[in-house]
Amino acid sequence: MSTTTVPSPSHASAAGTHGLSFGGVLRSEWIKFRSLRSTKLLLLFTFVAVVGVGALAAWLRGTIIQSLMTTGSARPEGGVHATTMTLAQAEAAAQAQGINIYGIPNAGLQLGILVLGSLAVLLIASEFGTGMIRSTMTAVPRRLPAFAAKAIVLVVVSYVLTLVAALVTFLISIPILHHYGIDMSFGRDGVVYGIFMGGVYVAGVALIGLSLGTLLRNSAGGIIVLVALFFVLPFGTQLLGLVPGDFWKYVNQYVPSVAGGRMLEVGHKDAFIDPHVGGLLFLAWILVVTIPAVITLKTRDV
Amino acid sequence: MIEAVNLAKHYGPKTAVAGVTFTVKPGQVTGFLGPNGAGKSTTMRMVVGLDRPSAGTVTVNGKHYAEHRDPLHQVGALLDAKAVHTSRSAYNHLLSMAATHNIPASRVNEVIDMTGLAQVAKKKAGGFSLGMGQRLGIAAALLGDPQTLILDEPVNGLDPEGVLWVRNLVKYLAGEGKTVFLSSHLMSEMAQTADHLILIGRGKIIADAPIADILDGGHQTRVRVRTPEASRLAELLGGTGVSIDSSESETLEISGLDARRIAQSALDNRVLVYELTPIMASLEEAYFDLTKDEVEYHSHELSDVASSAPEGR
Ligand SMILES: Nc1ncnc2c1ncn2[C@@H]1O[C@H](COP(=O)(O)OP(=O)(O)OP(=O)(O)O)[C@@H](O)[C@H]1O
Ligand SMILES: [Mg+2]
Repeated sequence: MSTTTVPSPSHASAAGTHGLSFGGVLRSEWIKFRSLRSTKLLLLFTFVAVVGVGALAAWLRGTIIQSLMTTGSARPEGGVHATTMTLAQAEAAAQAQGINIYGIPNAGLQLGILVLGSLAVLLIASEFGTGMIRSTMTAVPRRLPAFAAKAIVLVVVSYVLTLVAALVTFLISIPILHHYGIDMSFGRDGVVYGIFMGGVYVAGVALIGLSLGTLLRNSAGGIIVLVALFFVLPFGTQLLGLVPGDFWKYVNQYVPSVAGGRMLEVGHKDAFIDPHVGGLLFLAWILVVTIPAVITLKTRDV
Repeated sequence: MIEAVNLAKHYGPKTAVAGVTFTVKPGQVTGFLGPNGAGKSTTMRMVVGLDRPSAGTVTVNGKHYAEHRDPLHQVGALLDAKAVHTSRSAYNHLLSMAATHNIPASRVNEVIDMTGLAQVAKKKAGGFSLGMGQRLGIAAALLGDPQTLILDEPVNGLDPEGVLWVRNLVKYLAGEGKTVFLSSHLMSEMAQTADHLILIGRGKIIADAPIADILDGGHQTRVRVRTPEASRLAELLGGTGVSIDSSESETLEISGLDARRIAQSALDNRVLVYELTPIMASLEEAYFDLTKDEVEYHSHELSDVASSAPEGR
C-alpha cells in the first residue's frame, strides 16, 4: 500500500467552500440509501411480493363473490341463504365481512409495512451498530437535519414504491376480476383514494420504524418492537374484544395498524371510527414515537 | 484553535474528564498524551460535539463546533473507534460525507489518492484491515481541507510507511498554519512529531508545555561513567543530592553531578575513566515520571502476578 509521500497541496477550492446545507444533507442520505446493495434487493423483492399478494387477493375475492352469487353463501355448504344473489348484493354481503373490491390494490400492504418499517429501523440502527453515526453526526453536528433527511428519503421511497405497486396491482386485478364478472375501475368508490393513501400508511410506518431505531439504537430490538406494535398488538386487542363488556370491543380500533388501516377505507362502519379519525389517530401514533426519538437524538451522546 | 475551559465529562459515577482547561494553537502540532483511560478520546469527542460536556465548554475557532456553518471545513476528525458502515464502499462513504457540504467528488478522489486507498476504494469498508480502516478515517478527516485536524491515535495499525506519511502530513499541515491535535500512545512518535505536548492523566492535565521543556524540565540529566574502579569512584562522588546506580559492573549512572565535575574528581583521585556520557532524559522517561501517580490501569509485573497467584493446589 503506497501513499503519496508529500501531501498534494490542497486549496480551499478543491474541497469546496459551500458549507453545510440541507440539500446537501438530503443528497448525502440518498447516497447512503442507494449505496447498500441489500437495500435495493429488498425493495425489489418487496415490490414483487406486494403485487403478488394483491393479485392473489383479487382472485380470492372474485371467487368469494362468485360463490356468494351462486349459492348465497361464502362457503358453498352453508345453507343460510337458499336464494341466489345479484352481483351488487354479493359485493355488499362480502363488504360487510370486510372483503371489499376497492381495497384490492392495497391488499399486499401488510408485507410492505413489515419490510419498509424494518428497513427504516435498520437505516439508523445500523449506523449506531457500525459506528457510522459518529461520521454522520460529525458532518451534521446539529443532528436533526440528518434525521429529517433520513425521514424524507424513507417517506419518498415508501410512498413511491407503494403507489406504483398499488397501480400495478390495480391493473393486474382488472382482468382477474373481469373473469368473475366484476368491473374494477377508477370509477369505483374508494379505488383512487385507496391507491393514493396506501403509500401514506406505509410511509407513516417507516417514520415509526426510523424513530424506534433512533430510540433503541439496536436493529433487532427496533424490529421486534415494530412487529409487536403492528402485528402482535392488533391481534391481542382483538382477543380483548372477547372479554365481556362493551369497553374492550372498542380498544382494537385504536391501535396503530387498525387505525392506519381504517384510514384507507371509505364510508361509515357501525361501532367503528371514521376513516379520517383513523388517520388522525395514526398521525398521533407517529408523533408519540417520533418526538421522543428526536429529543433523544439531539441530547444523547453518540 | 481549540479552547477548552473547565471541560468535564462524567459517565454516571465515573469521571472521564475532570475539568480541563487548555488551548491548542494553530501553526504547530500539539500532542495529547496520557495512559489508557486518561480521557483523551472523551475530550476529543466533546470537541466535535459527539459527547455533551457535563460541565465547561470547548470551542473551535471561537465557536461551538455545531454552530459553524461549515463544520467539515473547520474540523476534520479521526476518532478512535471505526466510524463507517461496514457494507458500504470507502468511496461511497466519503462521497456521502462530502455531499453534506457540497464538496465535489473530485475532492473525494483526491483524498483517496492521498491516503493510498485507490485500489480498495470500491470495496466494502467492513473488509478493511486495521491500517486500511485508519487510512479511510484519515481520508474522511481531510475531506473538507479543515482548519483544525483532530486525530485520535492516527498511527495505530499503520505500517512504517504509513506512520512516516502521517508524521510528514501533520507537520506539513501545521506548517501551513493549521491547528493539529494528535493523540498517541507512542511516546517516541510524539517526540518526533509534536511541537507542544499536553499530558493528561485520570482526566486531569498534568503538563502543558513545549516538548523541549518537558524533555529537560525537572528531570535531572544523568551521566554514564565506565571505570574499572566503580565502587571507589562511587564513594568519592557520593553526597547529598547525588544518586548513583550501578546496573552493570564497571558502569555507574550518576545524577546530580555534571560530567565536568565527575571528570575533575576522577582526575584528582587518579581514577581511570574510559567512558563519560551525559544521557538526555527521553520523553518516555519524562512521561513515566509525570504520570506515575496518575495511571489508572497498572500492568502488573510478571513476578507480581506469579506471587499473587493462589498458592497450594
Ligand atoms: N461511553 C462511556 N461510558 C462509560 N464510561 C466511559 C465511556 N467512554 C469512556 N469512558 C471511561 O472514561 C474514561 C476515559 O476514557 P477515554 O476513552 O477517553 O480514554 P483514553 O485516554 O482515550 O484511553 P485510551 O488511551 O485507552 O484510548 C475511561 O475510564 C473509560 O472507561
Ligand atoms: Mg482513546
